[in-house]
Amino acid sequence: MKTLAATASVVGVLAAGARADPYALTANALATTASPAGLVTVSTHADPTSNVSVEAVMWTGGGGDLIGDRPGDVLVMVMRARTADGLASGKLGRFVAMLGALRPIQIDGAAARVRLPHRFAIETYGGVPVIPDLAASRAWDWVVGGRISREVGDAGSIGLAYLQQRDYGRLASEEVGVDGGAALGKRDDLAAALAYDVANPGLAEARITATHRRGDLKTELFATYRAASHILPATSLFTVLGDIPAELVGVTATWRAAPRLDVVADLAIRHADGSPIDGPAVAQPLALSSATDPVAGSTAPEAFVRAKLRLDDRGASALGCELRRDGVGAAGWTGASGSARIALSSAFAASTELELVVPDHDRGLGAVWPWGLVALSYNRGGWQAAAAVEASASPSDRRRIDALVQLGRTWSTR
Amino acid sequence: MKRLAIALVVVISACAGILGFTPAGPKAFPHRKHVLAGVPCTRCHANVAHDDGQTLHLPSEASCVECHTKPHDTRPCFACHVASAALGELVEARDHLRFDHARHAKADCVSCHIGISEGDERLRPPMATCFRCHAHDAARDARTCATCHRDLADSQTLPQSHLAHDGDWMREHGTRAASSGDSCQACHRDSFCAECHGVTVAVLPATAHFADPFAPSVHRAGFTARHALEARADPGKCTTCHQPERCAECHLARGVAGDGQRSPHPAGWVGLSASDNAHGRAARRDPTSCASCHDGAGQALCIGCHKVGAIGGSPHPAGWSSRVPLGALPCRLCHPIGSRP
Repeated sequence: MKTLAATASVVGVLAAGARADPYALTANALATTASPAGLVTVSTHADPTSNVSVEAVMWTGGGGDLIGDRPGDVLVMVMRARTADGLASGKLGRFVAMLGALRPIQIDGAAARVRLPHRFAIETYGGVPVIPDLAASRAWDWVVGGRISREVGDAGSIGLAYLQQRDYGRLASEEVGVDGGAALGKRDDLAAALAYDVANPGLAEARITATHRRGDLKTELFATYRAASHILPATSLFTVLGDIPAELVGVTATWRAAPRLDVVADLAIRHADGSPIDGPAVAQPLALSSATDPVAGSTAPEAFVRAKLRLDDRGASALGCELRRDGVGAAGWTGASGSARIALSSAFAASTELELVVPDHDRGLGAVWPWGLVALSYNRGGWQAAAAVEASASPSDRRRIDALVQLGRTWSTR
Repeated sequence: MKRLAIALVVVISACAGILGFTPAGPKAFPHRKHVLAGVPCTRCHANVAHDDGQTLHLPSEASCVECHTKPHDTRPCFACHVASAALGELVEARDHLRFDHARHAKADCVSCHIGISEGDERLRPPMATCFRCHAHDAARDARTCATCHRDLADSQTLPQSHLAHDGDWMREHGTRAASSGDSCQACHRDSFCAECHGVTVAVLPATAHFADPFAPSVHRAGFTARHALEARADPGKCTTCHQPERCAECHLARGVAGDGQRSPHPAGWVGLSASDNAHGRAARRDPTSCASCHDGAGQALCIGCHKVGAIGGSPHPAGWSSRVPLGALPCRLCHPIGSRP
C-alpha cells in the first residue's frame, strides 16, 4: 500500500503542475458478483507543455479471485518528452515497450527514439520486466532491446530489432525481429513482421498482410505462423519439447454495403501442426473423457461474417450480428451473436448482447453454451454510470448469473 | 430468382432511410440557395474571425430572422436545418484542432469549405484540403501532430489511410504496429496498449467496458466458455499478451488446476507404457498449456522421470537441437556442467 500511496503522490504532483489543457483525472469504481468483486481505478493524464506529457493508471480492489492477495497495482505511470522538432523522444516509468516484430513487454524503465539522417531511426529501451507483485524482488531481472529502421517511400519503413531478457541473471528470452510495411500507391499496402528465437533457435512468429482497396470494398490477404514453445521463457523446461506451430492463411473483405451498414467477411484455413494423438484427450479443464485428440495435425476452415448497422448518423444507436466458425478438430466450434445499443436520450443508452456457441465435441459439458448481457448506461457532464446483468452457461458453470455496476467521474480542464 | 431480386429491391427501398441511402432527420442547410441569393458567408457567420475556442461559428437565430421575418415554424431554425452528424464534427474540430479562422481570412471561405453547397456532410473540410497550402510530409515524419491536432487520444478522429482500423483490426494491429509503432502513439496513450498487454491489468477490457457491445476486445461475450477451445487451436496466442502464470491464477482460484480437487487431466494421463501416456504428446502440442500451471519450480516434475537412464527417457524429439549452452537453464537441470550432451 505504501507503493500505491507513493505513486498517487507522484501522480498528484505531476498533474498539479499541468496547467495547459488537456488535464484529466478519472476515478472509476467497478463492482461485480464475478471476480473481481470490487475494483477502484484512478487514471490521470496531462500535457504540461506541447512536448511533455504524463500519464498514470492504478487500481486497488479486493474480494475477487483474480486479484487474490494483491491490494492493487500500477498499470501505467509514464512521463514522455520530445524535442520540438520531433527528432528525439523518450519516456520514463512503467509502460508497455514495443520494438517492431518483437512481442510487447511491460517494463519499469526507459525508452528513447532518435531520428537520424538519411531517414534512419534508432529506438531502444531497457528496464526491469514487470511482474504482478508489488513486493517481489527483481534483482538481476532486466530486459534491453533496440531497433534500427529506415523509412521507405512516402509511407513505408523496414526495421531490424533485437531484445534480450534475463530473469535472475539467466537468459530468459533472446529474439531478433524483422518488420516492414509500405503503402503501395493509393489502393494497396503491405505489412510483415517476423520474430526469430535466438535462445532456442527457431522461428517464433511470422505475420504478413496485403491489402487492396477499391471503392467501398477492402480486401486483405493474411498469413500467420506462431510457435508456442518459442513464446515461453527460455528458462522454461517446456522449451525443450520441440516446436509445434499453428498456421493461419486467409482473406478478409470489408464492405460498406450502405452508408450506415458495414459488412466484414473472413475466410481462413488453420493448420495445427504435429501428429494426431491416439491416447486420452489433451489437457483441458474438466476434460475427463478419453476421446482421441485430433487437434494436432488438423487442417480446418475458419470463417466469420459480421455486420453492423448504425441507426443514426453518429452511430449512437447500432445493431450488430455475427456468425462464426472457429477452431480445428476437437477444438472446433460454431457461434452466433447479436448486439444492440440504443440511445434512449443524449445521456442514457441501453445495450444488449447474446451469444450462442455450439462446440463440435461437448464432452458432456453442454451442447450449447449461451451467454447474454443486458446493460443500461449513463454518460453526461463527466459522470459515467452503468449497470448490467450477465447470464451464461459454460463448461465450468451449468448456470451462472452475475451483476455488474460501474460508476465513474472525470474531471478535466477542458 | 426474379422474385428474390424484386423482394430485395422492395426491402432495400423500404429500409433506405435506415441504411442511410436517403437522408433522415433534419434537412441540410441550403447554403447554395443563400450564396446564389448573394448573401456573403460572413453576414450570417459574423464572428467567424474570432476563434475563442468555445463557439461553433453557427449563425445566431437573430441573423436568420433578419431576412426571414416570417419564419414558417415556431421552433428554433437549427432544430431542423442542420444535421446532427455535422454538428458532431464541428464539436470535434473545435475541441481537437488548433485552427484560427482569422489567420486564414485572406482566403475565400469556399477555397477550404469545398462542396459546402452540396450538404452538411462537408461543413468541416477534409484534412487533405490543408495540404494544398501547408506542407505535411515533414510533420508526419516527425510525428509532430500536435501542431494542428489537440489531444488526439480523446478525439473520435479515425485514420483514413492504410492504417484505417476496419476489417479484423484486432488480428491486424500487431502486424501494422510493428513497422509504425510510433505513429500509433500519436493517437493512443500508453494505457491503451497496457489495457491488454500489461501484466498488471486488473480486469479484461471487455469487463471494464461491459456496457458497450461494440468496444473492440478479444475477450468479448462468452469468452470464458470458449477460451479453452481457442487456446488449443492456436497455442501461444494467449501468451502473446499474457504470462503463463495468468492461467494458473484463475484455474487455481476456480479449483480446476492440478492441485485442486478437480484435476484437469484425464485418467491414464501418466502411465508406464507408451500407449497409456498422453501427456508427452499433449505437452509437445501445447507446452504453454502445461507451463501455465507447472512452470517454475513445478517443471522439476518433468526431470524426475525424463532424463537419460530414467524411466521417461529423453524429452527431446527426434532431430532436436539447440545452441543454448548446456550450462544455462533449462539444460543444466539434466545436463550438469561437465557432463556430455
